[in-house]
Amino acid sequence: MALLTLQGIGKHYRQGELEVKALDGIDLTIEEGEFAALVGPSGSGKTTLLNVIGGLDAPSAGRIQLNGTDITTLKESQLSDFRLFQLGFVFQAYNLVPVLSALENVELVMVLQDRHAKDRRERAEHYLKLVGLEKVMRRRPSALSGGQQQRVAVARALAAGPRLVLADEPTANLDSENATALLDIMHRLSHEEKTTFIFSTHDVRVMERAERIITLRDGRIVSDDQAERRQHEATV
Amino acid sequence: MSTRHSHLPFAILLMLAWRNIWRHRRRTLITLSSIAVGFALSVLMIGIGDGSHNSMIRNAIKLGEGHLTVQPRGYIEAPANHKYLADGKALQATLDTLDVAGRVEPRIALQVLASTASNSVGAQLEGLSPGGDQRVETLEPQLVDGEWFAAGDERGIVIGDGMAGKLKAKVGSKVVLMAGKQGGDSQAQLGRVRGIFDSKVDELDDYLILSDIQFARYFLAGEGADPELAPVTRFAVFLDDPDSIADWKARLKPALESNDVVVFDWQEMMPQLVQFVMVDDAGNYIFLVLILIMVVFGILNTVLMSVLERTREFGLLRALGLSRRQLLLLVFCESLLLSLLAVVIGWLVGGGTHWWFSTHGIDMEALVGGGGTAMMGTFMDPVIYTELSWDRVVQLTLIIFAATLGSGIYPALKAARVTPVEALRT
Repeated sequence: MALLTLQGIGKHYRQGELEVKALDGIDLTIEEGEFAALVGPSGSGKTTLLNVIGGLDAPSAGRIQLNGTDITTLKESQLSDFRLFQLGFVFQAYNLVPVLSALENVELVMVLQDRHAKDRRERAEHYLKLVGLEKVMRRRPSALSGGQQQRVAVARALAAGPRLVLADEPTANLDSENATALLDIMHRLSHEEKTTFIFSTHDVRVMERAERIITLRDGRIVSDDQAERRQHEATV
Repeated sequence: MSTRHSHLPFAILLMLAWRNIWRHRRRTLITLSSIAVGFALSVLMIGIGDGSHNSMIRNAIKLGEGHLTVQPRGYIEAPANHKYLADGKALQATLDTLDVAGRVEPRIALQVLASTASNSVGAQLEGLSPGGDQRVETLEPQLVDGEWFAAGDERGIVIGDGMAGKLKAKVGSKVVLMAGKQGGDSQAQLGRVRGIFDSKVDELDDYLILSDIQFARYFLAGEGADPELAPVTRFAVFLDDPDSIADWKARLKPALESNDVVVFDWQEMMPQLVQFVMVDDAGNYIFLVLILIMVVFGILNTVLMSVLERTREFGLLRALGLSRRQLLLLVFCESLLLSLLAVVIGWLVGGGTHWWFSTHGIDMEALVGGGGTAMMGTFMDPVIYTELSWDRVVQLTLIIFAATLGSGIYPALKAARVTPVEALRT
């Protein structure tokens, strides 16, 4: 069942006299539970696409259906609430609120969701254990390594119970060991929690763990191995 | 579309705001210190202002005509010796029945020409009741020569050192006091200098002649008054509780006022002093405004710096689902906490400073180099104790609080304008 459908998504902006097409006619369908990677060179439109899917940026053209809602029609305040209840985010860096402990960071989104204090504390502890941070959950971000901070961000994204987690180059600032560990955690939790993940990456090792690889170039999808497989299966 | 909305409990908002203001502990402490010092200076300035004004007013009332004055209608507009209260006895009886909580002092004030063999000067003769007048209590300790006239002394006068100099009069000198009469004639009485005072108030030292009321009453008799009715030119009412002026005025007016008699409070009797206090207060407020500008920029700097440094974090919070309104509230709450801390610390420092100076006082004579503290026909006590009424406490607190809180509006709006995608790019 399709969780996310993008139809003719474009994102254009002007740079001086030049019109830049950051995204150009993107059509994409993501099924529920997929663990998909957006790959492509710098400037290919990966981050822009994730921002548009996440409602952080508005497309210049096209429609985005996410879990039955056309998010391109939502007002800003509705988008904010939509993100809160439907989406999880993991960014490249500076993912956490510095004045909150790891546990409080994970709880924050659930606070905004108005979950009961006991429920959110239990969920936050549960997800921090799942990402292997049960011993450091009272520490503030400044006392955590980069890998640990990214794992807290993954725990925060999942604890709030989103339908879709968007991760923008989550391993970009991590060494090889931490990057692999983080991807393993994301992959495992994607299956255990049946949560859809879309993440962007340059990293070949990260791509290898993806179940679907969507390649972007100049704002267009130039290859989509899953779609090609589906097309192949359909013709056979 | 889900109808669920983002919810940020106030306790969490406060906790986040509190932790945020202590991110840069040193910067926050420096800001709070500058506000506290500014606040202390404001409290001190206002306290000195109120203390000196109240001192001047208290002394003006003591040296002048009391908290309330009963006098002939039309006298204040055009003072003249023939305007007097002919039946002082009846008015005194009415005042007695009102049982005024304070002292009622009958007085006779006349414009005279004082002459000796050497010189003549215009003067005001004040006939005071022998039962102990506030003026006597104030000026008797300031005698620099001779002694105070005794009760019932029908010739004795006391003059200021300024007038003594002009008249070249000494203790024991004869002074002829001449007063114009309504018909155009004049009348004169001979006084003898019993003592000379130096009040340090030039208006008094150069112009005032004090005598027993009986001596001054001879002039009213000359105007045709019946001495048996104890004529006076006014009754000065000194209240035990200066805060009860309005109450007592409201009670005296219907009981005493007529076509010939009017009741004034000290503000009506001394409008110049009221204006002086207002102008001086305005000066203090200008100083307060300068302090406020300093305080506002202190808070603005701290909160704005903090907002600019956290653009990316605001983007993250917005991406996670925090609404613009919640972000605005968060930053505004930081200003609110900073303002509350500023007011509390400001009061601790300012209140402490005020307490010290209200107990130990400030030696104004030493500050002005012995040049005297007289002005506007009155004088400040040589040592001023700062005074701060509850009205001032509330006023200062609200002003500082509003100013500091107001300075948080711009940074809060700036934070709320952050768009997640642009902020996350920073």
